[in-house]
Amino acid sequence: MLMELSFGKKRGLDHWLRGIGVRLKTDWQIYVLLLPALAFFFVFNYRPLYGIQIAFRNYKAAFGVTGSAWVGLKNFRDFFSSYYAPRLFANTFLLNLYGLLWGFPLPIFLAILLNQLQHKRFKSFTQTAIYVPHFISTVVMAGMLYLFLSPTNGIINHLMGTSTYFMIEPRWFRSLFIMSDLWQHSGWNTILYLATLSSINPEIYEAATIDGATRVKKIIHVDIPHLLPICTMMLILNAGSLMGSNTDKALLMSTSGNTPVSDIIGVYVYRMGMEKAQYSYTSAIGLCVNLLNFVMIMSVNWLSRRVGETSLF
Amino acid sequence: MKAKIRDTRGDRVFNWLNLAFWIIALGIVLYPLYLILIASVSDPDAVMMGRVLLKPVDFSLIGYEAVFQHRDLWNSYANAVIYTLGGSALSLVVTMMAAYGLSRRFLAKGLFNFLIVFTMFFTGGLIPTFITLKDMGLYNTRAIMIIINCVSVWNLMVARTYIKSTLPEDLYEAAVVDGATHFVYFFRIVLPLSGTIIAVLSVYYGVARWNDYFTALVYIRDRAKLPLQTILREVLASLTTSTSSDAFFSAYANDTKGMTDAIRKAAVAKYCCIVVSTAPAVLLYIFMQKYFVKGVMIGSLKG
Repeated sequence: MLMELSFGKKRGLDHWLRGIGVRLKTDWQIYVLLLPALAFFFVFNYRPLYGIQIAFRNYKAAFGVTGSAWVGLKNFRDFFSSYYAPRLFANTFLLNLYGLLWGFPLPIFLAILLNQLQHKRFKSFTQTAIYVPHFISTVVMAGMLYLFLSPTNGIINHLMGTSTYFMIEPRWFRSLFIMSDLWQHSGWNTILYLATLSSINPEIYEAATIDGATRVKKIIHVDIPHLLPICTMMLILNAGSLMGSNTDKALLMSTSGNTPVSDIIGVYVYRMGMEKAQYSYTSAIGLCVNLLNFVMIMSVNWLSRRVGETSLF
Repeated sequence: MKAKIRDTRGDRVFNWLNLAFWIIALGIVLYPLYLILIASVSDPDAVMMGRVLLKPVDFSLIGYEAVFQHRDLWNSYANAVIYTLGGSALSLVVTMMAAYGLSRRFLAKGLFNFLIVFTMFFTGGLIPTFITLKDMGLYNTRAIMIIINCVSVWNLMVARTYIKSTLPEDLYEAAVVDGATHFVYFFRIVLPLSGTIIAVLSVYYGVARWNDYFTALVYIRDRAKLPLQTILREVLASLTTSTSSDAFFSAYANDTKGMTDAIRKAAVAKYCCIVVSTAPAVLLYIFMQKYFVKGVMIGSLKG
């Protein structure tokens, strides 16, 4: 039975408590269903939040998280005064910024054009095909780059008659990183936009046709306005991770030669933390980046709520 | 029947240009995949000389032979199968249960919602998470490969939206009148009617686990427990083409001219590794493709 709780009315605490009792009588099963997921989030997301304190300590495995000595902001000072800090921030930001400049508009563009394909079977074949690269692992993607771009055996160098060390020369790193991302994920990222386009009422198109609108006009005056809210939402999500790191991929693509540009925060944290066991120092870096990302997504969200009407929450 | 308004000249030009665009785009998307496929069954020399462009040259299965003889690779393949099946099954059960819970109204729902969504925007970070899990004794265990990343908030929200938008409220009320509890309703009605979203989630979770190398890089030390992708990384994603990854295959070449043979083999074996490791994920997607577009679209439209 569904019992409505009446918080607002003057019924007294007694009635209110009885209301809760009635709800719990039926709702306890919902809590049981939620329990495994909550337990997972508690162990893998909330307990590590408690572990963040090692950023302010000098963590020694023998003493444990709470037994290690407090050092205040030393780890943060060490990082910000190091030679690496400015380079890491610049590399991370630029890689993400360029990635966003290409990776954000392309799927929208593709979705609009795909939506205009007239031949039904060709359209569905295309849609299926452009999703395929998304299912390739990052390791294989990086492996393909190493194979195709090898200076001795690679097909690209064979075709161009050159022997460029693509994976070593720093100036190629960002382009290769972003182009391979575009190849892998732009097709997949059309899904949301295609879903939005397919939900547009066909009568709008019919009306536009009768009014003599060409296809291009329909794109400009029907498709794009309908896509705008979802575009804003995706932009907020993307802008919020401008200081995030695609550590998986950068780690695979980083070589001794391209470190001046491939050294991004996530890779540095992995190298110093996991390979050199500098747990406290890298936790401090991780905390900075997390806070930065958090502030960023909140402010972009706030901004878009002020300017337009769309926001995540 | 309504009269069809004929396309204008401009529209027909647009259609042709659009078609041409997509034919080129499909070429860009599919050619690298095709190239890997044909290189994997070609002669090593032809591959190294860059002569394999449009079709296999001097058909040979020497690369696949090298791959099939490679014990480390198959051991990691078996591990990956275990981690993927175990992990995805667990993820599916936990996600569907929680998704149903969140699709209903109940006391303190806002709080639970917040606790879950918050994890999307603020995490402990790599190192604090590592230390916490290590302190719990999960380091270097197979268990962690199965339970880590168990619930993705995104997938959870997609599943919740799906349940909310496909199962009418009347259905629930009718079930309640018939005396169904949440458990009964969930297991007897929601699950059987959620085939599409279960198919979509199993692709999402399955492929994510199959393709993950980073978790094992951080949490697994024993070589015997490593999944496929971590081993693949040694073979594929390294600059030192002529040393480590060739030595990787030459360990199994035991005749006298073994070394040069191994180097030749390694040149194609890499392509074969890509085929063997990528096929399961791509095939799973193609099998499930029917459910896919529909399920993803319903789930992703915000309800």
